[in-house]
Amino acid sequence: MKQYILLVAAAMVIALIPNETAFAKDTCFDCHQTAGDKPSELFKHDIHSRRGVSCAGCHGGNTNAEEMEQAMDKKAGFIGVPKGDDISRACAACHSSPEKMKSFGSTIPTNQWEFLQSSVHARPSLKGKEHIVQCITCHNAHGIVPVKSPSSPVYPLNIVKTCTKCHADIALMRSYNPSLPVDQLEKYRTSIHGMRNAKGDTKTAECANCHGSHDIRSAKDVKSKVYASNLPGTCAVCHSNADYMKPYKIPIDQYEKYAKSVHGIALLQKHDLGAPACNSCHGNHGAMPPGVESISKVCGTCHVLNAELFSSSPHKKAYDERQLPECETCHGKHEIIAATNQLLGVNPEAVCSRCHSERQNVKGYQVAKTMRGLIDSLESEEQTVRKLVDEAEQKGMEISEAKFKLRDVRQARLQSRTMVHAFNEEKFRDVVDKGIKISGLIAEESKSAIHEYYFRRLGLVISTLIITILAMSLYLYVRRLERK
Amino acid sequence: MKPILKRVYTWVDERVELKGLVDYMGKKYVPVHPHSVWYYFGGVSLFLFIIQVVTGILLLLYYKSGEELAFESINFIMSKVQFGWLIRSVHSWTANLFILSAMIHMFSVYFEKAYRKPREITWVTGMLMFFLLLGFGFSGYLLPWNELAFFATKVGTDIAGIVPVIGKPLMIFLRGGNEVTGATLSRFFGFHVAVLPGLFTVFLGIHLLLVQRQGMSEPLHIKEESERKSMPFFPNFILRDLTLWLLVLNLLAILAVFFPWDLGKKADPFASAPAGIKPEWYFLYMFQTLKYIPGKLWFLDGEVLGIALFGIAGFLWTIVPVWDQKSSRGEQNRLVNYLGLFAVMYIILFTIIGWLA
Repeated sequence: MKQYILLVAAAMVIALIPNETAFAKDTCFDCHQTAGDKPSELFKHDIHSRRGVSCAGCHGGNTNAEEMEQAMDKKAGFIGVPKGDDISRACAACHSSPEKMKSFGSTIPTNQWEFLQSSVHARPSLKGKEHIVQCITCHNAHGIVPVKSPSSPVYPLNIVKTCTKCHADIALMRSYNPSLPVDQLEKYRTSIHGMRNAKGDTKTAECANCHGSHDIRSAKDVKSKVYASNLPGTCAVCHSNADYMKPYKIPIDQYEKYAKSVHGIALLQKHDLGAPACNSCHGNHGAMPPGVESISKVCGTCHVLNAELFSSSPHKKAYDERQLPECETCHGKHEIIAATNQLLGVNPEAVCSRCHSERQNVKGYQVAKTMRGLIDSLESEEQTVRKLVDEAEQKGMEISEAKFKLRDVRQARLQSRTMVHAFNEEKFRDVVDKGIKISGLIAEESKSAIHEYYFRRLGLVISTLIITILAMSLYLYVRRLERK
Repeated sequence: MKPILKRVYTWVDERVELKGLVDYMGKKYVPVHPHSVWYYFGGVSLFLFIIQVVTGILLLLYYKSGEELAFESINFIMSKVQFGWLIRSVHSWTANLFILSAMIHMFSVYFEKAYRKPREITWVTGMLMFFLLLGFGFSGYLLPWNELAFFATKVGTDIAGIVPVIGKPLMIFLRGGNEVTGATLSRFFGFHVAVLPGLFTVFLGIHLLLVQRQGMSEPLHIKEESERKSMPFFPNFILRDLTLWLLVLNLLAILAVFFPWDLGKKADPFASAPAGIKPEWYFLYMFQTLKYIPGKLWFLDGEVLGIALFGIAGFLWTIVPVWDQKSSRGEQNRLVNYLGLFAVMYIILFTIIGWLA
C-alpha cells in the first residue's frame, strides 16, 4: 500500500515538472524522484533524459512496471548500478553506435570509447580490474550536459578543475606515476593561457587542447599530441590559425619560421628529440614568452658555455643598457639558422656590422674583423689538411694518426665558434692558434705520407730495374756457358 | 780465382776439407728434359723460405705479442719503422707465394712419380714440411690480432674441435682455453716463431741432404740412354735458379708496393663476426667442402665425416710411395695420375667456389 501511495505521489510530482523529461513513462524515475534521491534530481537536467533516454537505458529493467520487483527484475534486464568498465560500456552501447546516436538526433562523434581504450587513462586502475578513468569520471553520471554547456565539467572554463581533481591529488598521482608533476594547475594559472581562461576566454588553450580529450596519451608516447616532435604542430593548430588568433593580435608565423630553423630541422626532420620544441623555451603548463632579461638564461640551459662567456663579455653591459635581448639580437628567435662564419665580421651580412662600423664603435669593428679573419683561416686550414689526409689515404698510406688529429682541429674550430661569445680577441686567438698548430702537424704528416708513396714507387722502379738487369745478365751468362 | 779469394779458400779448405764437397758439386748433374721446369719450384720454395726467415726476424725486432700490443705494434711497424711497411708486406705476400710454390712443387713431384724408390723419405719429409707450412700460415694469420684473423682462427679452431675424441682437448690446447683470447695469441706466436721453424729446419735439412745425395729424379718415360741429357748443377742449374729467384724477388717487390697487405680493424672479441668470414685461400677448398656436407649423413656427423675424409686423403697422399709400387718398378700407374688430376681439379674448383661465395 505504501508503495502504491509513493507511486501516486511520484506521478503527481512528474505531472508538475516542466516538460524537460521527454520520455513518456518511467516508473523508475517517478519512484526515485518521489523518494527525493540526488541522482533522479540531477537526471532531470541530464541531456539523456531530455533526449528520451530513461533510467533503464543505463541500468536496465522495466520502466513500465508498476511494481518495484518487476521493474528491477533481472529477467527484465535490470543490472543495477554498473561497476568498473561496465559503466563506460553502458555509455558506449549508444555512443559507439552511429545508428543509435542518429536516432537520438545527435551528431557528436562515436569514437570516444575506442579512443579512451587506447589512452593512458585506459591503463588498469589500482584494483587492476578496470580502467583508471571511466566516462563518468569527467562527464559525471546523472547530470550530464553537452560539452558546450557552461555547466559541463569539460567545458573549456571548467575542464582544468576537472582534470586537476586527480592530477593535483598528490597521493593519487603518486600511486600511478610518482614522477608526474602535480603542479600543472598552479603553473597554468600563471601562464597567458591560464590567465585568459580564468577571465572567461574559452578560446585559450586548456588541458584538452594540447593533450586531447578521449585519446590522451603519455607525453612519451610517439602518438601523443605533446610528444616532443608533435608538440610544435599541436601549438600551431591555434597559433598558425589566422582567424583564430585574430583577436589576440600576435604573429602567426612562428611555426613556419621554427620549422625552417636549426632547431626545427633537428626536431622535425632529423627526429633529434634533444632539440628544443616550443615548450623548451616558453614552458608548457606555464607557457609565457621569455622576457628580454631571461632569453639568455633560457638559451643557456642548452648552450651553457655560450651563455657563460656572453655574461662575462663586454657585450653584456652594452646589451643591458640598451634593453636588447641577448641571444636573440644576433641569432633571432623562432627562425634561428645554423650559425656560420658569415654572422661574424664586418661584412654587410655579419651581425656585428649592425652596431659596429669604421666610424661607430670602432674597437668592436676591429675585433670583429680580426676574429673573422682568424676563424676563416682556421676553416681554410682544416679543409686543406683534410684534403691532404684524404689524398694520402686514397694512395693507401697509413695515416690513421693524422686522421685522428683532424678531430682536434674540428674541435678547435667548434671551440672558436663558442669562444666568439666572449668577444675577446686574445682568448679567441688562443683557440684558433691551437687548431692551426695541429693543422700544421697534420699537413706535415700527410705530405710526408704522400712523399713516401712516390718514394716507394720510385724505389720500386729502381730496384726492379736493377734486379731485372741482374737477372738478364745471369741468364745471358748461363746461355754463354751452355754454348761453350 | 783471384789470389785473395784463393787464399781464403785454401785457409778454409785446410781446416774443413772443402775440396771433397767442391769436387762432388762439380760432378753433380741435373737431368734436362721437357719437364725440367718443375725442378725450379723446389728452389723457389727454398728461396721464399729464406725470405720468410729474414723478414720474420726483422719483424720480431718490433712485434709485440699480446692482446693489447699486437695490433698496435704491427701498426707501428707499418707507419713508423723505416721500411717496416715493406718488410711486413713482403712477409705476408711471401707466405702466400711460399704455399703456392710448395703446392706446385708437391704436385709436380707427384705427377713425375719422383717419390718412387729411392726417394720415399724425400717425399715424406716434403709432405711433412707442407703440413708445417699450413701451420705457419694458420698461426701467423692471427698474429696481427685483427678482426678477420680473430674470427678465422675462431672458425678454424672450432673445426679442429669437431674431431672425435681428441678434438675438444686439441681445441683447448690450441686456444689456451675455451675461447680465442690473448692466451691463443701467445701460443700461436710461440708456434710460429719457435716450434714450427725448429721442426721445419730439421725436415728441410733432411730433405735437402737427400736431394743432394740422390740427385734429381728423372721422369719414368726416359728409358733410353740416348734420350738422357743433363746440365751441371754448378754453376748452370744454380745460376738458372738464381735468375728465377731474382724474378720472384721482383714480383714480391711489385706486390708489396702496389698491394700492401692491409691491417684491417683491431679484433674485438665482443663484436659479432663480420659477414662472409673466410679462411685464407689455401684452406678455402676444405672450408667450402664442409659447408656442402649435410649436417647428418647416415649415423655420422657431416663435419666429422668431412674432416675424416680430408684426414684420410692427406694420409694416403703422404704415403703414396708405399701404395704405388708400380711406379717404383718403373711401370706406368694411371690410377695415380687420375687421382692427382682429381685432387688438382677439386682444389681449384672448390677454391674458386669458396672465393666467389
